Amino acid sequence: MAEAEVEVRNPSGLHARPAATFVRASAGFAAEVLVANLTRDASRTASAKSVLGVMGLAVARGDRIRIAAEGTDADEAVERLAELVRSGLGEAIDGA
Amino acid sequence: MSAELRGTPAAPGVAIAAPWVYDAVPAGATSRLPLPEAAALAADEVVGIATRLRDQGREAEAEIFDAQSLMARDPALHDATVALMADGTDAAIAVVQAGEAVAVSFEEIGDEVLAARGADVRDITARIARIMTGAFVPRLERRSVVVAADLPPSVTVELDRALLVGIALEGGSRTSHAAILARSLGIPAVVGVVGVREAAATAVELAVDGDAGVVHVDPDAETLAHLAVITEVAQARAGHDTELASADLATSDGHRVTCAANIGDPADAAAAFAAGAEAIGLFRTEFAFAGRTTAPDEAVQAAAYTEVLRASAGAEVVFRLADIGGDKPISYLPIEPEANPFLGVRAIRLHDRHPELLPMQLRAILRASADAGRRASIMAAMVADESDLDLVLRLIADARAAVPAAPVPRIGVMIEVPSAVLLADRLAPRVDFMSIGTNDLTQYLLAADRSNAALAARQDPLHPAVLRAVSRVVEAAAPTNCGVAVCGEMAADPVGALLLIGLGVDELSMEPRSFGAVKGAVGARTLPDLVALAVRAQLMPSGADVRRAVELGA
Repeated sequence: MAEAEVEVRNPSGLHARPAATFVRASAGFAAEVLVANLTRDASRTASAKSVLGVMGLAVARGDRIRIAAEGTDADEAVERLAELVRSGLGEAIDGA
Repeated sequence: MSAELRGTPAAPGVAIAAPWVYDAVPAGATSRLPLPEAAALAADEVVGIATRLRDQGREAEAEIFDAQSLMARDPALHDATVALMADGTDAAIAVVQAGEAVAVSFEEIGDEVLAARGADVRDITARIARIMTGAFVPRLERRSVVVAADLPPSVTVELDRALLVGIALEGGSRTSHAAILARSLGIPAVVGVVGVREAAATAVELAVDGDAGVVHVDPDAETLAHLAVITEVAQARAGHDTELASADLATSDGHRVTCAANIGDPADAAAAFAAGAEAIGLFRTEFAFAGRTTAPDEAVQAAAYTEVLRASAGAEVVFRLADIGGDKPISYLPIEPEANPFLGVRAIRLHDRHPELLPMQLRAILRASADAGRRASIMAAMVADESDLDLVLRLIADARAAVPAAPVPRIGVMIEVPSAVLLADRLAPRVDFMSIGTNDLTQYLLAADRSNAALAARQDPLHPAVLRAVSRVVEAAAPTNCGVAVCGEMAADPVGALLLIGLGVDELSMEPRSFGAVKGAVGARTLPDLVALAVRAQLMPSGADVRRAVELGA
């Protein structure tokens, strides 16, 4: 079991394109990866491999999310996905 | 007194026509194709739609379908569907119910952006259900006001725009896909009209008043007279823009440049000429290849090309040979995944791997040219040097031998690879025209990936290096009979258009909706003024400086 907490800084949160980028990256890992929106409702989790689940977390700009994984490549999955979110999921994000 | 239903105005204008009701899944249908196969086909279809939209520069709409392709394969959606099927519910109904549950949960969160994505979930699940049951999106057969609970984007883009005159939706908001699309296409629309589906079931005619947000059911003479007055006022208002669009593309001292249109669909040709186009400067032929599961044969292609040549009534039509490649994949033309598709096997480079593609397309273009009795202009993309041009000329010669009845085509190359700029003096004497594709030329010249949002600011066609490249191409063509056109986004930007004319370009090709703005900007300046501006711009430090200087009128 590995986990990390990161802030989402994309202007439109984890909707649309950033959500798609995140889900495509998650699909590459064998581990089961779960996400929760700590700012909104920490008790509700969604599979990181489900774009509908991730969108349903309604992650807005500035929200903190928790990424948790279990399975063979769990450590790597959490590390890579957290880094992907920090770097803006392929979008330009201002301010560090 | 005719019945009147109130809703929210979504797109202005008045439309009067018979109602045509769209239902996502026909009642009583049963599925024949299992979920995984249907979902995979649905994902392929929406990827095809995204490719087609992207090719027409409709990036924002394309992204909607990218997201839908991911939804189609969503494991949570599949699990929910299977769970609903446990009590014997048909798979097509189950997938629609599963999608509906997700859409409702999105709407309950109270976030407008997320609520709008709910429409995408309904759209993709309805598509999966249609594929499962073998139902097709029905076709409009006459001028119609389309009535639906909501009109999903995938259906809207597939409806015949010539017959779609008005939209009345039971649901939706001003910011729903259908409303945005209706405004961009100029189709009067009213949304949130409670009871409109029930009324449409028995109505002969609906009148949509998109300004007032009202739908009149079987309007009486008095209502029709009132609507006629509204329409007249609106047309007088629109007259000014149309007047500008049909004026010449010329400087105030009378230097004329050809005003041409970029189109991606044969159906758009007539509208482009009506909007004031003097030629089709770029007909993107990829539409013929996208959204299909097998390659279009010569006859199918020729029929589409003939339609465009007939609509042109003798004006020039530039057919760009299919620019297919790793960034715009086509299922029946397998291309190995590439690390850098923009630098990969695309356009004429595909010839080695798929040697039948270009010869067949060339024969189809020449056959259309012979059928329509009109000369075609043929343009090859991604020509990097003379050996690429040799190949293109050889393939055209072979196709002409196969279709001897066709008028002699004009032959051109797209200038987008930097090597072609440096070699323009070698290419110009051998072709009839060169058309500069500033979108790709900018990304190649500045080494800034078009698809990388982090580099968006570097993707500036006003960059002095791009201006110098255009200048070099114009100079290379000057001593020859070769014309120089520009068919990238730069031509549609009034600032870019001013600079291109100052640099000596003969033709600007753009989306017709930009005609008015570009003509207005160009008509306010003199040629010597623009030449001086173009010279100075090449000495500026950045594209942003160039834009500022032009906008300040310096």
